[in-house]
Amino acid sequence: MLSKALWFNRSIWLQHFRNIGWIAIVHLLLLLAIVPLPIMMAYTNGKNQLDYLRGLKNVFDISAPFQGMLVFTIPVLLGIFLFRYMQVKQSADYMHSLPFRRESLFTQHMMLGGMILLVPLIFTALVVSVLCYWLPLDRIASADIVLWIAEVFLMEMFVFAVSVFVGMLTGISVLQGIFAYILFLFPAGIFVLVLTNMRYVLAGFAADYYLNANIEKIVPFIRFIELSMRDFSLQEAIGYLFLTGLCIVMALWMYRKRPSEAANQALAFPILRPVFLFGVPFCFMLVGGIYFREVMNGSFGWILFGYMVFSIIGFLVAEMVIEKTWRVFHKWKGYVYFLLPMLLVGTVLYFDLTGYEKRMPKLADIEKVYFGDSVSRFDIDTQQREHHSLIEQPNQFLSSKENIQNVYIFHEQLIANKPTLPSPFADTKRVVIGYVLKNGDRLIRVYDVPTDPYMPFYKQIIESNEYKQNYYFILREKEVVPIRQVTIMMGDERFKEIVLSDPKEISGFMEGLKNDLRQESAESILKNHESWGTIELLQSDGDIIYVTWKKTYANIEKWLSRQKLLPNHR
Amino acid sequence: MIEIHHVHKGFEQVEAVKDVSLHVQKGSIYGLLGSNGAGKTTLLKMLAGIYKPDDGDIFIEGEPIFENVKLKKKLLFLPDNPYFFPHATIQQMAQFYRDVYPGWNEERFWQLQEWFSIDVQQKIQRMSKGMQRQAAFWLVFSVMPDVLILDEPFDGLDAVMRKKMKNLLVQDVAERNMTVFISSHNLREVEDLCDHVGILHNGEMIMEREIDDLKADVHKIQVAFRDGIPSSFLTGLQVVYQEQRGRVLLCIVRGNREEVDAYIQRFAPVIFDVLPLTLEEIFVYEMGRIGYAIESVMV
Repeated sequence: MLSKALWFNRSIWLQHFRNIGWIAIVHLLLLLAIVPLPIMMAYTNGKNQLDYLRGLKNVFDISAPFQGMLVFTIPVLLGIFLFRYMQVKQSADYMHSLPFRRESLFTQHMMLGGMILLVPLIFTALVVSVLCYWLPLDRIASADIVLWIAEVFLMEMFVFAVSVFVGMLTGISVLQGIFAYILFLFPAGIFVLVLTNMRYVLAGFAADYYLNANIEKIVPFIRFIELSMRDFSLQEAIGYLFLTGLCIVMALWMYRKRPSEAANQALAFPILRPVFLFGVPFCFMLVGGIYFREVMNGSFGWILFGYMVFSIIGFLVAEMVIEKTWRVFHKWKGYVYFLLPMLLVGTVLYFDLTGYEKRMPKLADIEKVYFGDSVSRFDIDTQQREHHSLIEQPNQFLSSKENIQNVYIFHEQLIANKPTLPSPFADTKRVVIGYVLKNGDRLIRVYDVPTDPYMPFYKQIIESNEYKQNYYFILREKEVVPIRQVTIMMGDERFKEIVLSDPKEISGFMEGLKNDLRQESAESILKNHESWGTIELLQSDGDIIYVTWKKTYANIEKWLSRQKLLPNHR
Repeated sequence: MIEIHHVHKGFEQVEAVKDVSLHVQKGSIYGLLGSNGAGKTTLLKMLAGIYKPDDGDIFIEGEPIFENVKLKKKLLFLPDNPYFFPHATIQQMAQFYRDVYPGWNEERFWQLQEWFSIDVQQKIQRMSKGMQRQAAFWLVFSVMPDVLILDEPFDGLDAVMRKKMKNLLVQDVAERNMTVFISSHNLREVEDLCDHVGILHNGEMIMEREIDDLKADVHKIQVAFRDGIPSSFLTGLQVVYQEQRGRVLLCIVRGNREEVDAYIQRFAPVIFDVLPLTLEEIFVYEMGRIGYAIESVMV
């Protein structure tokens, strides 16, 4: 009886349903338009559409992007309209003068919101079930439909809970909507912003490596659209369930603390003011840095300019939102509270007071080094065979003592030089150096440097046998199966291609080619030298290997001319 | 019945109510006076359990009001700008109040329709401001609360309606011992209604009086003597205000009526009149005494 009284009051339900019942109707109509309607249209369009119907794997398959748009708008709107009463002074005062505790008001509104989301979903699912029975939707089983309800409802409740949660933080409905969408993107967004900017101020920071970790997975909208291909894993489902619960509990907790007079205030709690006045310019600052670097191709000076200008804009925007007027320019003093800590952080990073830039493992502790121009393979365990090997692999682990030392010396030189951000027009190459230590620790650094000044360092590494063997697939004797045919294609159309299929000829040619590759200089590998054409090697397993026929390959040149296979006037 | 102890309430930088204490007895009508921005509405909203005081306590029937469902069922707050659910008719609002307030009196609701003569099916938001206020009063009187808090209740009502509403209020107070707390910026509007009056200025309670005491204790007199004013005459009186008009001395004095009478008779005045004093005048003089000019306090 007591619990019933807590969440159910007939008049409150009736009254609020009168106000926001339309959302339930819009929700239902849109669901019907997005899910069963396309099926019926396809069916009536005739026989050629039957394959489409038979091909549908699950309910998401019908219209995942539109379902996504629905799931990410209706619950946000619902959260706004359901709690609209507390954002308007008059109704906030009225509702809070009624003989209900806030817990009870909150619970009633959340229950009503849940119903508005769930009932149209179930109705739509029933319609789809009926269609499945009559139409040739062979691959959609009832389990798919139940799963569809569960996943859509989970996501809608998540979006709804976030909308309600941010609604408690602000007293303006428009801001509630804006904050809700910002919050969906915030985890991924701040991750990208911070890491990208770290690269600008910390020499060697491997932003790409950390950014590699499938950030789109933590953008709920993208994840939802992918449900047609991948259902939620148990962890994901629990994760969303947990976040939904957390948002609801936090919202209730804040609602109990929230003063009625927060209605119409940009921020409902005074304590949020400094957070907001710091957070907004901070995000703007990071965006400014990225804008001036990636869009405007600015140097470090311009990036600093971007930080400054964008953080000031961000600060003013935050003030404008709080004060609800654009005339906030006299309030610049608050910016100092943002600037001082930022200068401190900037100093720490710029002068590398944490020692990040100079950090290197002890040479004796290193088990192997990673060297290349991309971070992509740093996490690949070399014990594990890759599904496909590249014909040229510039990213590799090296474990010979000499190479560990060579890479180490190269790294020392990079640290000493502390390469700054290169001009976007400069001819630079990315150098990725990683260490795997004997105790399992890993360390990775990324630099963008011009190749020529560092060529002596490159030569030591690239011209080593170990590197070459890893670099050129065909030098790895164990993995290459016999070659059945060699086709040499000239870049020039006037010349006929040369085909070798005699095993003797092939082995002679291959001997020369391998020697060329072994002897190839670092310059030739790093800089794309002129080529005569392409060499096509057909293996006994049917795979074809393509090798660029560089003009520097003297051995095959000699071999071909000895066999009189070279055209005279090349 | 209503007890307010050292209540404070601030909004951001502004302190709207500062250390206000007051006490209202059951079955009395308390008038809270003050100019715009004095903090009246803030105090009322705290009394209605809408705002939570930053400091201090508010008790109604000995219990704190904030988030107190039991008390709120017997307490009604009528804001200066009454709120109704969007597009609701009077009938729908009445249905809502019937469900929410146990004191709802259906019979009275229909009785009162004759007073108001408004169609119950009409949408309230389409009505004029005065009609909306009438509708609000109608609902309020049908709920029959024990405590009624009214914020500038007579704004926008014509003189006839104003009188009717006051009659209904007084009737409920007399019959059911209802306690009423009214705010107003206009003393004249509530002086015939209240038995207690408090003046709020810049968030502070600067004066609180019982009206009967006030009237009994303050007298406006004019006296004249054959040979001018005796030098010791004024020393024996508590003079709040004095003014010489030719030979006539006009002054406002405090004290027991009989004692003042007897004292003055001893000087054998040639003229001695006790003049009627409006409540407003009493306030003007009283406030002058404690250092406020009435213009700065009330419009």
